[in-house]
Amino acid sequence: MNFVHKLGSLSLIVYVFIFFAFIYLPIALIVIYSFNADPVNMMRWSGFTIDWYRQIFGFRNASSEAALYIESTDQLLAAVRTSLIVAASTTAVATVLGTAAALAVFRYSFFGKRFYRVLLFVPMLMPDIVLGIALLIFFVGVGISLGVGTIIIGQCTFLISYVFIVVSARLAGMDRTLENASADLGADEWTTFRKITLPQVMPGVVGGALLAFIISMDDLVITYFISGTSTQTLPIFIFGMLRRGIKPEVNAIATMMLLFSFAIAALGLYLNRRKR
Amino acid sequence: MSGPSRRGRERAQLGFLLGPVSAFLTIFLGGPLAIMLIYSFLAPGLYGGVEWQFYPHNFGRILGFADPEFEDFDPVYLAIFLRSVRIAATVVIITLLVCYPAAFQISRLSEKRKSFALFLITLPFFASLIVRLFIWVLILKKTGFVNLTLQTLGIVDEPLELIYTEGAVILGMVYIFIPFMFLPVYASVEKLDWTLVRASQDLGASGFQTFCRVIFPLTLPGVIGGSIIVFIPSLGNFVVPAVLGGAKTLMLGNLIEQQFLAARNWPFGAALAMLVMSIVLLLLFIYVRHETRRGDDAPGIR
Repeated sequence: MNFVHKLGSLSLIVYVFIFFAFIYLPIALIVIYSFNADPVNMMRWSGFTIDWYRQIFGFRNASSEAALYIESTDQLLAAVRTSLIVAASTTAVATVLGTAAALAVFRYSFFGKRFYRVLLFVPMLMPDIVLGIALLIFFVGVGISLGVGTIIIGQCTFLISYVFIVVSARLAGMDRTLENASADLGADEWTTFRKITLPQVMPGVVGGALLAFIISMDDLVITYFISGTSTQTLPIFIFGMLRRGIKPEVNAIATMMLLFSFAIAALGLYLNRRKR
Repeated sequence: MSGPSRRGRERAQLGFLLGPVSAFLTIFLGGPLAIMLIYSFLAPGLYGGVEWQFYPHNFGRILGFADPEFEDFDPVYLAIFLRSVRIAATVVIITLLVCYPAAFQISRLSEKRKSFALFLITLPFFASLIVRLFIWVLILKKTGFVNLTLQTLGIVDEPLELIYTEGAVILGMVYIFIPFMFLPVYASVEKLDWTLVRASQDLGASGFQTFCRVIFPLTLPGVIGGSIIVFIPSLGNFVVPAVLGGAKTLMLGNLIEQQFLAARNWPFGAALAMLVMSIVLLLLFIYVRHETRRGDDAPGIR
């Protein structure tokens, strides 16, 4: 009996290792093969190179003489720039609106409060393709031409929800005695808000903003429908590349994107833990 | 500090906080959804665009009453719908089977290891979705990692057909949705009262009986929550089938995309999207009702 029990828990431990291997081995694989020199088949190892990294930063290689490669590098850099512009703008708008909504719902009592709480969950739970095509029909119907502007508006509709939820979680766990003390000691509402409430909410706001930034950089489906024909964000560039045919530098781009999002996520989780 | 002026000030603050977000969501969320609903009941124009007349046959094309003037009912749309439901359900079951034992083991680790394990599981959620799918293209394609390895080892002579199959689509979805299932299940498992499990064993229940009648019912809220959270994005998914699937694995999401970007039958696409959204709303409604009822009752162990 005891032996069977031990065997059982040992197999569970082994299982957890397999579980993590399933999640992380593919990621390790792409990182390793981004240094593969083979220009034809990216998965047949034929030596170590950093050429693909040089290429995405615009350096010419022996293998990049073909004009095709240079052109796709330009498109890539343009896509990165668009993604950063979009992510910065959406993060700013969504953070302000989402934080305001969370403060209103958690600090005031008013008619329709429950409605707002549910409403702010809806865009997050809605399948992204539904939101994407609804926005497409709307923008075309109203006559707004598709481009960076529509991407920013479209992404904000659901990023507000993410910021709202992160800030709400912070507000829900907050100690209100400090605010009461501040009011008792004669501070006016604005001073209390600025000196007591805001610093306490800040980790939630920063966390929400980081989350919004990452999700915006990564959004594919909604952006795909409302970006129009001439604007490309990074995920759409890669999606297009997967459909047209893969070139070896994609491995390097993919690796850098993974590192970038892991760095931001790790920063967010670290801040979240430290401030608590 | 007189009463009325204080109330007036609060109202003003509230308007300042809620006004912009309400206006934004009304225009850019409410507006699009309303227009989509209207479009789904309009007739498609001859060269793209719409005719402003009531036309229920967009839904009919899917559910079995096609416009008799133009076409016979073609069950292909119904088949795509059923396939999408089947694939989404399979993804739910597999992610559950993968995550449940892992959640159990991780909940029994020491505090420090536990939070590290949770960190490792949440991390991929932040990594680019398209990059994580792209990895599987490299692994599964004809000259990909698996086929090259198998051929080098001499296990197979001809490369296997791994990519562009339903299996590849399911694998891709399982891979990206694991964190969605794991976290709710883990939250339930973590709260599990082990004294009840021990009581069941002391009273002579076998391991299997204890699992079926104590452990599983107690973790059911997490299982249901995780299942819904995985089912919703799987059902209308179009990226995974577009990247890892082929013509035989067309799902609702791909069909919707085609209506908008290739076939230019927007009303039909809107009707398909409405169908996806109704299913999602129905599921959420059932879930919320279930949860509120649970809250009223004492925790039930059968």
